Amino acid sequence: MSDVVLKMEHIVKEFPGVRALDDVHFEARAGEVLALMGENGAGKSTLMKVLGGVWPYPTYQGDIFIHGERRQFRNPRDAMDAGIAVIHQELNLLAELSVAENIFLDNQPLNRFGAIDWRKLNDDAAALLAELGLIDVRPTDKVKHIAVGKQQMVEIAKALSKRARILILDEPTSALSDKEVTELFRVIGKLRQDGVCLCYISHKMEEIAQIADRIVVLRDGRTIGEPIAIPDITLEQIIARMVGRELTEMYPASSRQRGEKILEVRNLGVDHPSLPGARKIADVSFSACRGEILGLCGLMGSGRTTLASVIFGALPHATHGEVLVEGKKTDIRSPADAIASGIALLTEDRKALGLFLDQPITFNTTISSLQTISSPPIGFIDKSREYTLTEHYIGQLGVKASSADALVGTLSGGNQQKILLARWLNAGPKIFILDEPTRGIDIGAKVEIHKLLDRLAGQGVAIVIISSELDELLGMSDRILVMKEGRIVSEFTKANASREAVMEWAAGARRVEK
Amino acid sequence: MHGNPALRFIRANATLIALVVLTLALALADPTFSTARNLSNVARQVTVVGIIGVGMTMVILIAGIDLSVGSVVGVAAVVVTLLMQYGLAAWIAGPVTLAVVGGAIGLWNGFWIAHYRIPPFIITLGMLTIGRGAALSLSNGSSIPVADRSFAFLGSGHIPPLPTLALLAIAALAGLYVLATRWRGVRKKGVPHLERDLPGILAAAAGLLLAAYVFGTSDGLPVPVAIFVVIAAVAIFVLGHTRFGRRLYALGGNEEAARLSGINVYATKIVVHVTVSLLSALSGILLASRLNGASPNLGSMFELDAIAAVVIGGTSLAGGSGTIGGTIIGALIIGVLNNGMSLLGISSFYQLIIKGLIISLAVWFDVLQKKNWKA
Repeated sequence: MSDVVLKMEHIVKEFPGVRALDDVHFEARAGEVLALMGENGAGKSTLMKVLGGVWPYPTYQGDIFIHGERRQFRNPRDAMDAGIAVIHQELNLLAELSVAENIFLDNQPLNRFGAIDWRKLNDDAAALLAELGLIDVRPTDKVKHIAVGKQQMVEIAKALSKRARILILDEPTSALSDKEVTELFRVIGKLRQDGVCLCYISHKMEEIAQIADRIVVLRDGRTIGEPIAIPDITLEQIIARMVGRELTEMYPASSRQRGEKILEVRNLGVDHPSLPGARKIADVSFSACRGEILGLCGLMGSGRTTLASVIFGALPHATHGEVLVEGKKTDIRSPADAIASGIALLTEDRKALGLFLDQPITFNTTISSLQTISSPPIGFIDKSREYTLTEHYIGQLGVKASSADALVGTLSGGNQQKILLARWLNAGPKIFILDEPTRGIDIGAKVEIHKLLDRLAGQGVAIVIISSELDELLGMSDRILVMKEGRIVSEFTKANASREAVMEWAAGARRVEK
Repeated sequence: MHGNPALRFIRANATLIALVVLTLALALADPTFSTARNLSNVARQVTVVGIIGVGMTMVILIAGIDLSVGSVVGVAAVVVTLLMQYGLAAWIAGPVTLAVVGGAIGLWNGFWIAHYRIPPFIITLGMLTIGRGAALSLSNGSSIPVADRSFAFLGSGHIPPLPTLALLAIAALAGLYVLATRWRGVRKKGVPHLERDLPGILAAAAGLLLAAYVFGTSDGLPVPVAIFVVIAAVAIFVLGHTRFGRRLYALGGNEEAARLSGINVYATKIVVHVTVSLLSALSGILLASRLNGASPNLGSMFELDAIAAVVIGGTSLAGGSGTIGGTIIGALIIGVLNNGMSLLGISSFYQLIIKGLIISLAVWFDVLQKKNWKA
């Protein structure tokens, strides 16, 4: 086909002991959105690194053709020059610089004295932003002052400034609100019309169905079948290609008994750290029972994570109200206090806030419950007991790792998340709060985590799930609380919750009448 | 990492191999180097940097730094000698100095770092200057002699050869016992650690034999060396086998994650900073004892030798990874190098240049290692 702009053939990339890519081949055309799907560890990121010149030729085998011409990238610059731009999950912007400075970071226009031509810099940036339909971002705004969604647009503008014709988007919506996603899709649509080739990596099925033209699935480093047009494949078939089996149920059918009230939150409030008088969350009251799964729903910035952090004692600034565990008032001032009261928090960002990547699985599993493997008074650690304990969790949670001594940094995202779950399971919480427990995780691991949570609740743990995925909340929760602007605005039971009703409250289409 | 096991072995134990090669080369180059008396001297010289290095390892493990250690050495030396001039007995003056100088400075540093989150580099840089100033003003800028003869034992005394050999034999037996329990665990769990353990076992065995030769045929085991060995052993145990050790690695690896894992970051930081100051004060007391007096400039630039020992020993300045064993090897390399270069008559100017190059080389090698691991 003449409009094939990117072709990869027989790509093989090996790491010590692992074949991350094993004979990958696919083609992408100008003016299409090609969705690249696969579980974590399937090789998507590695493939993108080969394409982006991060793994230089000849550390991989196989051929890359750009516009029919065989190319060998020796560094990211080569790939950029060939018109390839990769927009990573974690954005690569310099927060302290302006939007325009970021867009033209390494090719600023110069004036005749060889200094940066600021006017041209800002004008060119404004033109690019306008081209993307981004009217409310000024080129002179500092990147740290604009929303994440806009920052992503700046990344795209940066790619366009380099005349990129092949744009790779790695999980672009993972940090975006629904509105921002719509905006992003509008821009993607426009780029497609302009003939840009877009490779879109995502876990979210609904998005793929909405935005992609064709889809190609990676599993265990291999491409499964040829790219196929979206209308010709069903959701079930895609999942089957990804996991190699049919998944019958995403959410466990639950038959749990709700027990007595174990967590009660009364009029909880947190002062805004920079705005005196304002509150990040205010007048939050709710309770959770043993054996109950409580869903906490809300858009980005609605205060869900703040609420979880306050209960867990992780926020330094002033709080109001009280938290009762098993009917008793608590004075939780630190995560250590919270853990002692039987509360656990699985944090949102597993790499920044959870894991010790340079340490083995054993270390990561036991760090929050060292008393289970050591004895007072000197706290001597029984390493053989620790090893056995860790192996037990590895087996129970189905972690894929060479041994309990493997460094956590070498595991895939889903397995890392399981290690964090193991950490908290070993702490034996009575109340388990999970902030985005399945974000960026493949479907197989997701289902396993859902089952585990259901089982835990069955054992009498009160579980609070925070998630941006409405389907997950609807599927898992017995009750759903909706947060907006730091307050709980409504509550649903499993029976009366629906996507539409919950979203209406979360997005503010309906309000509490005073 | 590449498949060749020999190459992998060399890479993983580069500093240890460097130390062995350096020692053998010096032994061949100058016969005086390998005399028991000279090696015993090297051992004693290493103790000062070694003891501070143990504390410095802990600070750097939690991604901090302590630049004030050299000044603490100076202040402690001045204070302990002054106290004795005022008539305090040595056995009272020592502990009082430890508590007042080491404890107070450690609390000061730790408090600013833990409570106000002042970067350790800045607050300990301030303490470097304050401490030196205090040493100078307390001593009026001049040396202070020590009259108490019993004080000299700490820095210049020896444990006679026979008891030393007995101690070494006990240490060997203890080592074998630890090894035996470990190997039983390995057989049960099937966790292969041989490749990792072997260099340590060989180094310990060689070290014991060498110690038997050096201290058994000379005046015996110098007291400061004995103190250093005890401190190092305790530190190795604490870092590798206790909850407190775990907390240090966690804190250095990812402070926020450590806090959210329930670790008391505040207390841990303060304990670490008090520990390093206590160890530095101890070094100061040992030095004053060996010199039979104190000069206010004692210990200046020691912070650099201590940091160098830690870094050569493979501890990452970014925190979260490193060992006491590595630091001991680092301190030995610096000590052997200083001694050897002096024996060979290399001018002290060139000695500085060579030392600097070796530190740079060690860090470069470390960076190379990490890169290989990531790729």
